[in-house]
Amino acid sequence: MPTITEQNLRTLIDSLVKDGSRVVGPKAAGSLTLYEPLSSGSELVLGALPRRSAKETFFPLCEDILSYEKKEGKMTVADVDLARLPQTVLVGALPCDAAAPGILDAVFSWDYNDEFYLERRKKTTVIGIACTKADDACFCTAVGYSPSESRGSDLFLLPLEGDKYRCQVITDKGNLLLERYRHLFTDEEGGKVLPLAHPTMEKLDLKKIREWLDKNFENDFWREIAERCVGCGACAFICPACHCFDINDEGSEGKGTRRKQWDACGFSKFTNHASGHNPRNVQPQRYRNRIMHKFKYYDDKFGQTLCTGCGRCVRACPVGIDIAEIINKIGSGL
Amino acid sequence: MCDSKNIYKPHLATIEQIIDETPDVRTFRLVFQDEKVRESFSFRSGQFAEYSAFGFGESTFCIASSPTRAGHIECCFRAVGKVTEALRRLEVGDTVGVRGPYGNSFPIENFHGKNLVFVAGGIALPPLRTLIWNALDQREKFGDITIVYGARSESDLVYKRELKEWEEREDVRLVKTVDPGGNSPEWDGKVGFVPTVLGEAAPVAENTIALVCGPPIMIKFTLPVLEKLGFSDEQIYTTLENRMKCGLGKCGRCNVGNVYVCKDGPVFTAGQVKAMSQEF
Amino acid sequence: MNNIAEKQNTPLVDSAYFEAITTAIRMEARRALDSGEVSAVIGYKSGRRKGSAQPVIITDAARSDELVFSPACVNNLALYLTKAKKEVRKNGKIAIVAKGCDLKALAGLMGESQLKRENLHIIGIACAGVHGGNVEPSEPLSTGTIARKCRECHSHVPEGVDMTAGTLPALEQLAALESEELSRLEAMTPAERWAFWTEHLSRCIRCMACRQVCPFCYCEQCLCDRNRPQGVETTPRPAGNMGWHIIRAMHLAGRCAGCAECERSCPMDIPLNLLNRKMAQELKDLYGHEAGMQPHEKGPLAMYKENDDESFIK
Repeated sequence: MPTITEQNLRTLIDSLVKDGSRVVGPKAAGSLTLYEPLSSGSELVLGALPRRSAKETFFPLCEDILSYEKKEGKMTVADVDLARLPQTVLVGALPCDAAAPGILDAVFSWDYNDEFYLERRKKTTVIGIACTKADDACFCTAVGYSPSESRGSDLFLLPLEGDKYRCQVITDKGNLLLERYRHLFTDEEGGKVLPLAHPTMEKLDLKKIREWLDKNFENDFWREIAERCVGCGACAFICPACHCFDINDEGSEGKGTRRKQWDACGFSKFTNHASGHNPRNVQPQRYRNRIMHKFKYYDDKFGQTLCTGCGRCVRACPVGIDIAEIINKIGSGL
Repeated sequence: MCDSKNIYKPHLATIEQIIDETPDVRTFRLVFQDEKVRESFSFRSGQFAEYSAFGFGESTFCIASSPTRAGHIECCFRAVGKVTEALRRLEVGDTVGVRGPYGNSFPIENFHGKNLVFVAGGIALPPLRTLIWNALDQREKFGDITIVYGARSESDLVYKRELKEWEEREDVRLVKTVDPGGNSPEWDGKVGFVPTVLGEAAPVAENTIALVCGPPIMIKFTLPVLEKLGFSDEQIYTTLENRMKCGLGKCGRCNVGNVYVCKDGPVFTAGQVKAMSQEF
Repeated sequence: MNNIAEKQNTPLVDSAYFEAITTAIRMEARRALDSGEVSAVIGYKSGRRKGSAQPVIITDAARSDELVFSPACVNNLALYLTKAKKEVRKNGKIAIVAKGCDLKALAGLMGESQLKRENLHIIGIACAGVHGGNVEPSEPLSTGTIARKCRECHSHVPEGVDMTAGTLPALEQLAALESEELSRLEAMTPAERWAFWTEHLSRCIRCMACRQVCPFCYCEQCLCDRNRPQGVETTPRPAGNMGWHIIRAMHLAGRCAGCAECERSCPMDIPLNLLNRKMAQELKDLYGHEAGMQPHEKGPLAMYKENDDESFIK
């Protein structure tokens, strides 16, 4: 299996940038690490969990979906040229982040193809990397993933002793990239794989959780866990799998753009009708929707769970709501 | 639909006619600007579209005209929010964006040979009106057609000129009503809430489909009346509405439990509605 | 902004100190609920993660033993008494666990007629400090983990409470990092400050965590959530982000209790409390006004006095 040194991995990034690709990877941004465009290999940060997920590589925080202009009294609408989206390589994606787009593909191609998302997917090659660190917020193992999960990556790197990586080829797209830069890889065995991270949660029976959710739309449990929820969008925005969005016009009647931007079902006005009627009027109903969507509705519709166990929501929640604790409780029999 | 691959891009339509149905409810008759779209746009009764007031956003209304009437589409709306108020400011000749048709539709083929009973309240007549004209334009395919329609007061009735047309037709039975206190001395219809008037009209349940659309409170009292008359849950259809943005199943806003109103609906049987998580 | 300045890990206080507070809170909660004096107790309980704590509202005396106090008890529980949390049961008197910073928020809310003192049973904490942002909950309270607001706290032992839990141990003098940060900001030229804030606010993703955890952001519909008119664009772009944070800082000026929950909750580590502290400083300089422990009438931006300084109006 091909091996690459860390030095050459950074050189790979430099080469990709030089060859005109857009390269995105974990980068230092003040006190945090974020998945951001890299201008050189030296910027790549390894071994840190980026604060936000990599979903914005495919599903940006906000983007224009069309522009409109009244020309000589006549309204015209212009498309966004998606052909201009660059070829992208996402380097250093953690397994929980790399696996998420594979889950989101289903909704973004459900009968109608969202080309804003799908075109980016087509044009992006993902180089995933196994985790050697985890904290007790991580629970990828509970939802069927692991620190060495290669699902969703096109090439997957396993860290070896001596600052090297063993490179697994997962897809044809990955193979293409590998072949183009073969000179940066060697064929030696490379040595021992470093001990991988060991998230503490055992695998949960997601089917059993789904069955409990099927029967417990009304249950005091929702008030108990969601009473403390303040209804911000932190969990939804940093989650690799959450994909709710809003569509807004920005501009005047004569000229402007229509945009798609991230939204969250936790916001109090998310389902508010113009008449003032709000089907999810109090926070426990909104939080219930979050859990239901992730662990039941997405499964009902697309046969997948809308969570990869990255633990970001657990770390970010201002009031300590722990989704892993919640599904563990449900899974253990409520 | 359209030749752009952008599913969020609307067709452009010109407002050909504006009708003020009530002091705050307006009908637009729209004609698509692109000839190809004019010829190819097709929809089924029950489907909806997203209508744009450029600069303000989009709003969701059913397509209120019948697919049997070519050359235009109609929508009917009340100005209650930012987008609908912007739409109301538009004039004949202005442009409205139309994205659609979306959603499922009334399975009209399954209604052939059956009687139809339409029950509607207030501004909820438009979603059924498309099917009413659809049926009347193919009258021979259906049995008895009864329409029970009411509003809070006479001025709140929509499609007033069409109510007159239906009244004058021999092949339709229209029972119109206003809430107690909502009638003028000249009112020649019934006085009473829609569910009560429906009970008095007592349509036969056998071989009949009931189509109900109205505010939640009206639906709540109408379903038991239909049940008493002998209608099963599968004989009753309704159309739900919910806050929508994309209209095509992606933005995650309109779900009632695991049911997406924009994709699995907006047309549902009473049985399906009863089986839903109660959050609407 | 990174709350970790010094790297030492030596615990600042003994674990027995926290245990004593926990015991006192539990006893008081049980007593108050059993006697019917209060209908609910708002406090903290442990979470799944080692050392973690989260807000809890208990109405059953039997659950009193779930209550804890630890360095992870960072939340400002006053939030749960505001209009924004309308679903929280509020019948009769409610007991609330309050640190000094939380008490400032309670005082402010009383001054704004959002709360009545007689409806509260305040369990004050003799507080040595709590964790800052981005700290592993299992860490002890140390100079490396203590919140910056705690370093310069003047209300370790809250006054005007119904009962105080714990005894404050001797506390060492800690570097005044918040004041230092404010001085650094004040030393910048206007152009430098604009660049500073532009850089930080460009990271804002408009998750609204800052607003949602703030006890003073209790408007039933936030100005920035209205769309007629649309005051600020909702997209997370520079102009809208600037607009949002400026509006919020203005609406909080004179009211903000400095609990720094906004800064702790920000997933993008934006130094929001710095902005609010600067505003508080401005109000002190211009109008001699400071949000404090006494419920006070409206702050300077909600009313005017005949002799207000107008020298800045050019």
